[in-house]
Amino acid sequence: MRLGLPRALTYYDYYPFWAGFFYKLGIQLHTSPQTNRTIMEDGLKKAPDETCLPVKILVGHLLALQDQDVDGIFLPRLVSMEKNTYLCPKILGLPESVLYAIPREVKVYTVDINWRKGKGLVLKNLYQFGEEIQRTKRQIREAFVEAQRWQKAYQRMRNGGWSFEESMECFEVLAEPVKLEKLGFIGNLPFTEDMDLQIKEKKSNPKIALVGHSYLAYENYANLNLLQHLKKKAEVKVVENVPSGFIEEKHGELPKKMFWSHAKKIYGAGAKYVESQEIDGLIYLSCFGCGTDSMTNDMLARKAREQQKPYLVLTLDEHTGEAGLITRIEAFLDMLERRKAHESYISPYGKRLDRYSNIT
Amino acid sequence: MKVTFPHMGNAWIVIQTLLECLNVDYVTPPPNSKETLNIGTQLAPESACLPLKLNLGNFVQGAALGADTALITGGVGPCRFGYYGELEKQILQEAGYDFDVITLEPPDGSILGLLQRIRKLAGPKNNWRKITQALLFAYRKSVALDRIENTFHGYRPLVPDSNRVDQLYDEARMNLLQAMSEQGITEVLNWLSDKIQEEKVCSYGENYRDKKNTLRVGVVGEIYTVLEPYVSMEIEKELGNLGVLVDRSIYLSGWVGQHVFRGLAQGYKPIKPYYSLAKPYLNHFVGGHAMETVGAAVKYAQEGYDGLVQLLPLGCMPEIVAASILPKVQEDYGIPIMTLTVDEHTGKAGVLTRVEAFVDLLERSRIYKDHKEGVLELAGR
Repeated sequence: MRLGLPRALTYYDYYPFWAGFFYKLGIQLHTSPQTNRTIMEDGLKKAPDETCLPVKILVGHLLALQDQDVDGIFLPRLVSMEKNTYLCPKILGLPESVLYAIPREVKVYTVDINWRKGKGLVLKNLYQFGEEIQRTKRQIREAFVEAQRWQKAYQRMRNGGWSFEESMECFEVLAEPVKLEKLGFIGNLPFTEDMDLQIKEKKSNPKIALVGHSYLAYENYANLNLLQHLKKKAEVKVVENVPSGFIEEKHGELPKKMFWSHAKKIYGAGAKYVESQEIDGLIYLSCFGCGTDSMTNDMLARKAREQQKPYLVLTLDEHTGEAGLITRIEAFLDMLERRKAHESYISPYGKRLDRYSNIT
Repeated sequence: MKVTFPHMGNAWIVIQTLLECLNVDYVTPPPNSKETLNIGTQLAPESACLPLKLNLGNFVQGAALGADTALITGGVGPCRFGYYGELEKQILQEAGYDFDVITLEPPDGSILGLLQRIRKLAGPKNNWRKITQALLFAYRKSVALDRIENTFHGYRPLVPDSNRVDQLYDEARMNLLQAMSEQGITEVLNWLSDKIQEEKVCSYGENYRDKKNTLRVGVVGEIYTVLEPYVSMEIEKELGNLGVLVDRSIYLSGWVGQHVFRGLAQGYKPIKPYYSLAKPYLNHFVGGHAMETVGAAVKYAQEGYDGLVQLLPLGCMPEIVAASILPKVQEDYGIPIMTLTVDEHTGKAGVLTRVEAFVDLLERSRIYKDHKEGVLELAGR
């Protein structure tokens, strides 16, 4: 059996889990190719017009999977990945909300993952799914343990400073034996010492933090290679570099806890970076129509204003012109440099004397 | 402490009653207007949903009348409304309004916390018995209010004089606002049904239309957009004036019953049956009113309604999910569905034109039954 997994949305956070799960079950998991122009355009044509960019890209990937040699498409419904949180409603609405974009004869496998009520419910739903794919409870249980092990390993790699591509490569190679043959190597650790050296050489570059959803930050086609552009000129930190302890701490300072796990992670990491002396500035990567970002971004921007931290918001849409994006990044980085060179010369624009006065 | 609260259609009548029963000092903000929206759009994040912007406008306009505390309900997601209270507090404080926001919800699931908040709102003078009575009375009033609204949905398309209907509607609302006892509420309802009966016979006589021939359209969607006439461009009224019998899927008391009283009270038009109807199309709760919208659409389709209108504010996450599932309902039952997204646009003519065109299509498909497929291609998406 061969299942297709779209390289979109929750792939960017939970791929290792599914890779481990299906690896143990002896089911091949085939991931759709990197987003390209055809995928993006197909998605834009077929997806509901008011939904957000990542869902449109997901539809493109689903359509791309049809042509691949797979027995079905696997599109899980991730309801909640930890206690007291949800994922965004548009992710909860999968797969139903994108079903009518793909032909009816394509078999779509799905399973609800809901950690709100604990491990019992997750396993129960997985057992049901197991019946659908002819696997026993025992097999599912073993696969589940393996999946969690892979996911934890992934998180450790990311906290340890590995980049998204480096760590994902390991799991893809393991889960897709076909790829392994093509590449001709087995699990070579990509993190070497000269990388450390490279970072040391670039010491003078500004340090910035890129915060935003993983499915935007690592979606290199949609974000127009933002990370690569940034890395040329600055030292970049991302959300995943912040250990969960710090995220919980910063998030705990809010009077009301946020109930979206992505937004919580972004807010916690962002707040940590805003207060960190090491970070010179923040870039918030959002996309048009993102509901949770409208709130997280507003709260982080307010925090950045309070701390007088440079803050840039980049909103992605279906635009594909790179020049505009690069100009904005360059201007932002120039500003950071100048700010360092002329430390005491700061524009008073937009600053209020105290929160009770209206004079700006 | 002077309390103010956001507008949502006629909800202010109910909230005002509650606060009056509890003897809380309050101020009702002026009804939603362009100015409200302008204030809101200046303060709120650009891509926040429309209700947040109007809420902020209401609070600022309330502050101009002396309010210093805002009252709002909350939630634990995944709809953005659940986080309104916290965000609004931050925004207002940064804008220089030192507002205290009371969010009526159990903080971190603690019932004790909710009781403390109610106590903070009600002040030390009210005992718990009185608070419970006030809540129950406000709830009964909201049921009566919904009944009045529904009466007018059925009455408006049948009479030729729409101005007279508007007058009667305002009169009924004002009478209900002043009713402060159970008996008072019953009297208002009786008075209204007598009045309607009287006008039917005396004023209209021959001109009174036959209910059998009217088109029936269901209005589904996000609750704020459906209830608030400023946002929906009074679409229910306009449909009624075009001679269409409107039925609304969701009412204030139904929502309050399900979300505030946790299903203990069902309200006028319970929303519970929608969940099982929605199951074949949307198998999981996604927050907001997506399941209600899909379930109600199925219900109206099964009852043989002529068409459906879905209302949503731009960028509403749950309703976008519903909107992408409704074409399937449309296909399965052959019922035309029009999705209408509202934003900060205030030009009513554009919406009216679309509504008129939709009604024309529905009428036509009634005359030429065979052409119904043509209508389906045009309406909806």
